[in-house]
Amino acid sequence: MIRILIVDDHPAMRAGLSAVLRAEPGLVPLNAAASANELWPTLNRTKPDVVVLDYHLPGDDGLVLCRRIKRQLAAPAVLLYSAYADASLMIPARLAGVDGLVSKSAPANELYDAIRRVARGERVLPPVSRELLDAAAGELAPDELPILGMTLEDTPLAEMATALGVEAIDVAHRIDRMIKRLKIEIPAPRAPG
Amino acid sequence: MTSRWMALLLMTRLLSAGVAILLLSMHRVTAHDPLLIVAAIAFTVATLGALAYAPRLQLSPAAWLVDGAGVLALVAASEDWRSPFYVLMLTALILPSTGLSFRRAVGWGIAFTLTYLAVALYTNLDANTLESTVRLETIATHLMVPLIVVLALAYATDVLERLRGERLRSERLAVQSERQRIAWELHDSAKQRVHAAHLVLSALHGQVAGAQAQLVEHALGELRAAGADMDTSVAELRMPLDGRSVQRLLDERAAELVPASDAEITVSGSVGELPAHVAAHVYRICAEALTNAVRHSAARHVDVVLARNGSSATIKVCDDGSGLPTIRRPGSNGLRSMRARADTIGADLSLGPGPDGRGTCVALTFATEATETTSQP
Repeated sequence: MIRILIVDDHPAMRAGLSAVLRAEPGLVPLNAAASANELWPTLNRTKPDVVVLDYHLPGDDGLVLCRRIKRQLAAPAVLLYSAYADASLMIPARLAGVDGLVSKSAPANELYDAIRRVARGERVLPPVSRELLDAAAGELAPDELPILGMTLEDTPLAEMATALGVEAIDVAHRIDRMIKRLKIEIPAPRAPG
Repeated sequence: MTSRWMALLLMTRLLSAGVAILLLSMHRVTAHDPLLIVAAIAFTVATLGALAYAPRLQLSPAAWLVDGAGVLALVAASEDWRSPFYVLMLTALILPSTGLSFRRAVGWGIAFTLTYLAVALYTNLDANTLESTVRLETIATHLMVPLIVVLALAYATDVLERLRGERLRSERLAVQSERQRIAWELHDSAKQRVHAAHLVLSALHGQVAGAQAQLVEHALGELRAAGADMDTSVAELRMPLDGRSVQRLLDERAAELVPASDAEITVSGSVGELPAHVAAHVYRICAEALTNAVRHSAARHVDVVLARNGSSATIKVCDDGSGLPTIRRPGSNGLRSMRARADTIGADLSLGPGPDGRGTCVALTFATEATETTSQP
């Protein structure tokens, strides 16, 4: 049984996701959260196995939330569920520690499959192509490249800090800044008024 | 705007010509007054007629020069700088003052005034018997009036121009914010519901069989097409194609992609005029194909060829890269949205290896007339 916490700001999406997950044997959707503020109490109370996280949220986006979720002890697997699940999101997602990436336009069985695999501890992420890596490297400072390389090789934070000869907290801040620089800017239309 | 100044010219010129003729007929000014009356009528009718018949003359500096020379000639012919044609002369300043920028208009006014001074000297400033102080004051006034007329008109034109610019700007801002609002509604509300409906319905996949499975597939196809329609609309609202041709847009997209890649991109041919929503979908399908070729195939060359064949057209995006991936990249919805967009406009999208078996060739064939279509799974 896989217990799943849904984070999405749109009520139709929350209701649809809950219904679809409930219909699948072995998957149990918990309360759905609409924002970061609603996420933390539910996360602490219910201790889910998988968090299905929308990328585009009001306030902090999915990547920022993922970083914070992953900082917790016994952190759940995080599946980024986005309408913009294209290649340009791949490297920021890896840096943020996302376990899987599923497009909102994917059919339900792809979602079930991804949830089961991340719950088993697998990664559901496409390989990072050379072109993407080159493009990302162009955006980053030379001394950030080792961090990117080690992240893509799944080096733990503590080892990265040792290798670079700095504190782990500094590496974490570095990664936060790298994500900020690399993540795709969605031209979010302002809510009217 | 010019038409309003033309109306002012028409009224003032007719009025001042009338006044001049009245003055000439009431007082003897020169020995050839009847001739001057005929000249004034001929000049007024000829200039106003020409300006009304060929409106582009209203903005032509050459026409202004001829007009200015004409009025000054009338002043000179009346043999006195305090001419009955003085006010008629001022009307020749209306079009240059309003048709030029403020600085140039003032320059024109000064040049005109100096020419008038030359005419005044030619007609002999001492021709009258008044006190010299009075004479000086009168000539000063006569010289100041054209300048004041030019300044007033040029200033008014400038202010009107600014007001119009301001109004255009605020209208554009209003349109823009309306577009943003609609894009927001489509994207943050309607699109999310379509995603949710698609997801819920797709959960039935594998649960139903036979004819019902086909119904579900059909509905899923429609929902994907609806999602793609919304994507195009949102993109169109945020970055309108503004009637630019598909070829030009692809050229621009290629120019954006080139600096970030090693590939060489050529765009050739044309598909001619397309209905706006066909053009929007076609451009976005081809832009996606082009982006994929550059980003994921490690291609050296990408050729985009547009061709029109009667009422249908074909666009091919071919590269010499690594070919189609054998396993679909998880989370990639680019191809899915290309197919959904093609469905929406009833276009035929085919993907395969290039002509010599290398690389990838994406071919999109579509009708160049708008057609009503339903998507088929």
